[in-house]
Amino acid sequence: MLITLRPKYSFKVPVEAECINPSLFAEKSTMEIAKLQVWEGNRKRTLSDLFKITRETPNPLEKVTIKIAGDVNKVRRIGSKMSTGEITVNGNAGMHLGEEMKGGIIKVTGNADSWTGSMMKDGTIEIMGDAGDYIGAPYRGSTQGMGGGIIIIHGNAGNEVGCYMKTGLIRIGGNVGQFVGVHMRNGTIQVKGNSEGRAGAQMLKGKIVISGCIPSILPSFTIDRITPTVKVDGEKVEGPFYRFIGDLAENGNGKLFVSKAKNPNLGVFEEYL
Amino acid sequence: MPVVSNVTCPVCGSFCDDIEITVKNDVIVKVKNACAMGEAKFLNYASHRQTKPLIRKNGELVEVSLKEAVQKAAEILASAKYPILYGWSNTSCEAIRVGLELAEEVGGVIDNTSTVCHGPSILSIQDIGISSCTLGQLRHRADLIFYWGSNPWSAHPRHIDRYTTFAEGRFQKSAWRGYLSRLTGILSKKRLHRAVNLGLGRQTPSPPETELRLPSTLLQNKRKMIVVDVRKTRSAEIADYFLQVKPNKDYELLQALRMLVRDEELDVDKVTGIPVETLEEIVEIMIGCELGILFFGLGLTMSQGKHRNIDAALSLVRDLNRRTKFLIMPMRGHFNVTGVNVVFTWQTGYPYAVDFSHGYPRYNPGETSVVDILCRGESDAALVVASDPVAHFPNVAAQKLVEKPLVVIDPQVTPTSIMADVVIPSAFVGIEVEGTAYRMDHVPLPLKKVVEPPTTCLSDKEVLQKILGEVRRLRRNHN
Repeated sequence: MLITLRPKYSFKVPVEAECINPSLFAEKSTMEIAKLQVWEGNRKRTLSDLFKITRETPNPLEKVTIKIAGDVNKVRRIGSKMSTGEITVNGNAGMHLGEEMKGGIIKVTGNADSWTGSMMKDGTIEIMGDAGDYIGAPYRGSTQGMGGGIIIIHGNAGNEVGCYMKTGLIRIGGNVGQFVGVHMRNGTIQVKGNSEGRAGAQMLKGKIVISGCIPSILPSFTIDRITPTVKVDGEKVEGPFYRFIGDLAENGNGKLFVSKAKNPNLGVFEEYL
Repeated sequence: MPVVSNVTCPVCGSFCDDIEITVKNDVIVKVKNACAMGEAKFLNYASHRQTKPLIRKNGELVEVSLKEAVQKAAEILASAKYPILYGWSNTSCEAIRVGLELAEEVGGVIDNTSTVCHGPSILSIQDIGISSCTLGQLRHRADLIFYWGSNPWSAHPRHIDRYTTFAEGRFQKSAWRGYLSRLTGILSKKRLHRAVNLGLGRQTPSPPETELRLPSTLLQNKRKMIVVDVRKTRSAEIADYFLQVKPNKDYELLQALRMLVRDEELDVDKVTGIPVETLEEIVEIMIGCELGILFFGLGLTMSQGKHRNIDAALSLVRDLNRRTKFLIMPMRGHFNVTGVNVVFTWQTGYPYAVDFSHGYPRYNPGETSVVDILCRGESDAALVVASDPVAHFPNVAAQKLVEKPLVVIDPQVTPTSIMADVVIPSAFVGIEVEGTAYRMDHVPLPLKKVVEPPTTCLSDKEVLQKILGEVRRLRRNHN
């Protein structure tokens, strides 16, 4: 069952649409879907006020796929708490994409905003463009970060990727901002590009692999060894890598792998091996 | 001439409560005990003010009646889909309370100046927790005072004098004598340096800002002050020791200090250019103190790392409390910025960046904070109370703010009020109207009325009540 949503106009104020959820759509007729409530700023609207809704294959037995044809960078909480099905956004997506999702797939052809995959438990999110800050992070004040699933960002990501991450995998194809893996409890983060620094700050466990450049390593990390390769989700990533342990200021035992070839500035650490 | 004593000073977060004001013919003629900033406000507050309400008509601000201005403001706010209500730190708790009611009524986002100052501190306090106290305790007991990324000599001029290093406490004596001898030493050294240069006809480089060896005064059993900053400020000049940190490297320094407090070894010889031996000596002094306090300012909250810098500072104090007694306190800027966080929290559960668009309070700085909303161009109207965001916000945010209908309630003529569509001048709280405000250590104190306001100026609270009443009337008629 393919349901297509086309924005009727360009949204100016934030739109909260956590009802855009394949699990929820599966139980409803097109009329019922059209009447689902969304918020446009402080005004209550129905989904059909904001989107033109079409159901292309009305076979209720098939997996539900929601296709959003258009830019929805102001639309927040798309796919929130979804557990099955697929959402494809042909354009940019707004904040809290796939928040607390438990299963299914979300694909975005453009960019995603901050808090993508916030507190997700399972499923896959794939962003072809860039993403904002706090990827997989919990809401303010919570220490319950990403608890499973996979987030793949082909472009760059902002600050605090994987904040308070508990388990799961985040792959960043481009560069990341500061504090990747801050307060990380476990799980794996792979960065194919550069990091702006402070990687693994206050992490307790888990693995961060940075294949690009990093300006410096925090003083609360200690060098452990140089390793030729590192495994990320079963795949071998060719190195060599410096392996640091930290964050010792938190009694942490996280592993931070940083490319040796791309970071000659870290050569000073070799005398401590 | 009547003298009003124990007046609180409506300027900075120190919120001094010992000001004496002499009034003649309802005009303030003399101010005693205040710092230069406080005295300037009490003596000159009325110099540049607007007393009549204004509405922009055909591109020009024209004088109108209060009723018309209130009606226009209410129409703007009631018709907006996502209005923002910003400011609040320079008004009374009573006005803030009405402001929150108005934000709920119009379904807007209400935010205060914490969003551009100590908002990151609040985020970290929510994550880590805080060991704090009142300034009175520090005045009497603190023997090691840290100012990190803060310049109280210029921004909170009486803070050092009333509450910390130069205060005469019951258990800790003032350190002003040490300061005088140090100042004499510094001046002699500078004169000698100049004389040598003149005598030899050459320009030798100045001595380094940071002495890598700690002075012997830090080892004496008396009150000590250490300043950590990126440049040698006036506060750093009077400190026993100035530790110069490279810009945006505070997080690294704090984490290194945490490692040393926990008896961990550092792999590196220097952290942000400071030798590890120097840091070890500083940590020894920290652990050896009886009661230490770390005051931190915007140098820590608004440099790279923001709330993670505060995470590290709060964690450092937590670690130190395993070895000694140590406390930490943000140096709040406006006189009632602490009060605005307190009132917001007791009314909504959240200290700033509160979004009422769904009818109940939600909070997520970055998403619901006013600067971010403006930069994304999401708001469609704004109310600014007792603040000047056009002068202080990032350029893009200020541009977006003035593009949409803007209502300003402020006694002063500011860049924001000049750009507004509706201006409602109010009376100066703490001078012309009374109220309540919170000092930086969360102690509530009364704001006094010392002179009468102009007949055309109501208090912020009264103006907001009128707008709220008008919004409710419009809503009733609409329904």
